[in-house]
Amino acid sequence: MSEEQGPARPRTPREELAEATPHGDVYLGRLIRAQLRLSLLALGAFGGLVGSLPLLFLLWPALQDWDLLGVPVPVLVLAAPLFPLIVVIGLLYQRRADALDETFRDVVTHE
Amino acid sequence: MIAAAAVVAVAAGAIGLGVWGVRLVRTTSDLYVASRAITPWWNAAAISGEYLSAASFLGIAGLGMKLGASVLWLPLGFAAGYLALLFFVAAPLRRFGAYTIPDFAEARLSSPHVRLVAAAVVLTIGGFYLVPQLKGAGLTIGSVAGTPYWVGVVAVAALVALTVALGGMRGVTYVQAYQYWVKTFGIALPACILLVHLGGLPERAALFGRELPSAPADGLVVKLDDPQRVEFPTDALYTLNGRSLRAAAGDERVLEGRLVLPAGTAVPVAEGTDAERGEEWARPIERSGPASPVFVYSLLLATFLGTMGLPHILVRFYTNPDGPAARRTTVRVLGLLGLFYLFPAVYAALGRALTPELYVEGQTDSVVLELPQAAWPGLGGELLAALTAAGAFAAFTSTSSGLLVSIAGTLSHDARRVRGGPAAGEPPVERMRRFRWAAVAGMIVPALIALAARDLDISVLVGWAFALAASTFCPLFLLGIWWRGLTARGAIAGMAAGGLIASGGIAATLVADPAPTTLSALLAQPAVASVPVAFLTMIGVSLRDPERPVATEETMLALHGPEGLGLEALRTRA
Repeated sequence: MSEEQGPARPRTPREELAEATPHGDVYLGRLIRAQLRLSLLALGAFGGLVGSLPLLFLLWPALQDWDLLGVPVPVLVLAAPLFPLIVVIGLLYQRRADALDETFRDVVTHE
Repeated sequence: MIAAAAVVAVAAGAIGLGVWGVRLVRTTSDLYVASRAITPWWNAAAISGEYLSAASFLGIAGLGMKLGASVLWLPLGFAAGYLALLFFVAAPLRRFGAYTIPDFAEARLSSPHVRLVAAAVVLTIGGFYLVPQLKGAGLTIGSVAGTPYWVGVVAVAALVALTVALGGMRGVTYVQAYQYWVKTFGIALPACILLVHLGGLPERAALFGRELPSAPADGLVVKLDDPQRVEFPTDALYTLNGRSLRAAAGDERVLEGRLVLPAGTAVPVAEGTDAERGEEWARPIERSGPASPVFVYSLLLATFLGTMGLPHILVRFYTNPDGPAARRTTVRVLGLLGLFYLFPAVYAALGRALTPELYVEGQTDSVVLELPQAAWPGLGGELLAALTAAGAFAAFTSTSSGLLVSIAGTLSHDARRVRGGPAAGEPPVERMRRFRWAAVAGMIVPALIALAARDLDISVLVGWAFALAASTFCPLFLLGIWWRGLTARGAIAGMAAGGLIASGGIAATLVADPAPTTLSALLAQPAVASVPVAFLTMIGVSLRDPERPVATEETMLALHGPEGLGLEALRTRA
């Protein structure tokens, strides 16, 4: 952290943010857009997967009558494997979102 | 008797933890947010404990036994709701540092009117979620201890009000985490042991094949204390109070007394239940009827987006120390809920084969409580039934206390702020006293409604709460957090539009009970219509609002700025 603040020295990203300047706003807007992109991507991945299941079962009725280990396949698919999948998607999202925050912090604090 | 002892033991454990929590309560901050010093695992167990209500513990299995595999979408949506919460809400809301949803609404939009609307929605969702919990409590205590309905309602209402008023949220956090494990063991252990005892899934044809639910090899005896209207799905010979009678397929009869069905007879089903053949029962979706695509997608949407708008869930996220911790907590919640939701379906499938009398009585909701003793007569079944009864008890009490914390917080905090009362300058002792009184007062009205509303359907009320949350708070959060252009007027208009359409649809279903068509599916599960309307109204009104949006860079920084930037130090120096 610099102790002497001469008027000629350009402001750091951290100061831009703290003083809510238009430049700071640009930095912040970039972070928000990156986070939102990540969230929508994760939403699309999960929604596309689970959202397509009802249609899949509906358009492919043979699947509904197909048994595995004595249990119909759609029941098997809905009852168990989707829950671990949700956790995996959540975990991947969490890591990526934390990393975006970390990058932003690096940019702002390493002046 | 064993079941009653198990329920008492769970209640004693909850009270003990609550009392222990009191000694940790030092300030108001403790009461509201448990000092934000609880680890992600504790928080995740507490959130899951709060979330898994009577609808999850009893309702999914009961509905699954009644309607079949289409109910499997329900736990999926219940769990996936936390994914939506994780993607869009958890970290920003925690960083923003508002205590409750009304706090968030006012701070983000700088308008006391938004706070008032949000507080009203919190009270509506909380109240209507609380009523079915108390109703379930009355029924379960009644079946375990043989007491009248009102005893269970009053006892659980008093227990919960006491825990919340004495412990605040700190006590409740540990109680809720404990309740999660009671519920998970209560549903998982009996399911696994019964499967081992039965040597796998029995009578496959009855479970997923072509047969209707029917009387077992030694016949079926059902005692009907009250007259019960039933429909016979096939031709049947039966004995009622010693008289031999004959029914043709499709006959409706009113039965009372001792009903005996010979082995292999398809059981008559109570009014409101459809006798579905195994192959229909085993299909998660169909072109029409109760599993129509409109209904399934609307249900998924309501549960996916409604979870983030449940006030008793969100308030828990403030006990995370920071944004990343809120994310970690949510991921753990996904795991804990996924573990629990593996098991209700087991009860639904086994119940179809082993407790067909519940179809006759129209009591499929109690399959989790009845199945252990039907599958394993004797001491083994009795012990397992005690576990499920204890789990059911944990389900009512934990969700009720979580709801009551939100209701009491809203009553004592928001209502006062709107009236212009002091907020910051008030001594903590005074605020705590008011919170305690609000906890007692907030329980009285739902308890009275629960006493009167014995015939209201649990799943209708819970489903309404989700649809309402998805149509009001979900757009408020998504737009408020991610879009600078939201204005107070837009938020109020959107919440009003979404809330009115959602409750209008449900009210129409309650009053008219229409035939199963696409329209009736939409009325019963209105989210697929009400959620887009709420979003479009919020965006449209905000864009046309003559007042400029109030979101400043500072607001957005508070929501999205990562921790540890050290901006405060710069500001104070400047």
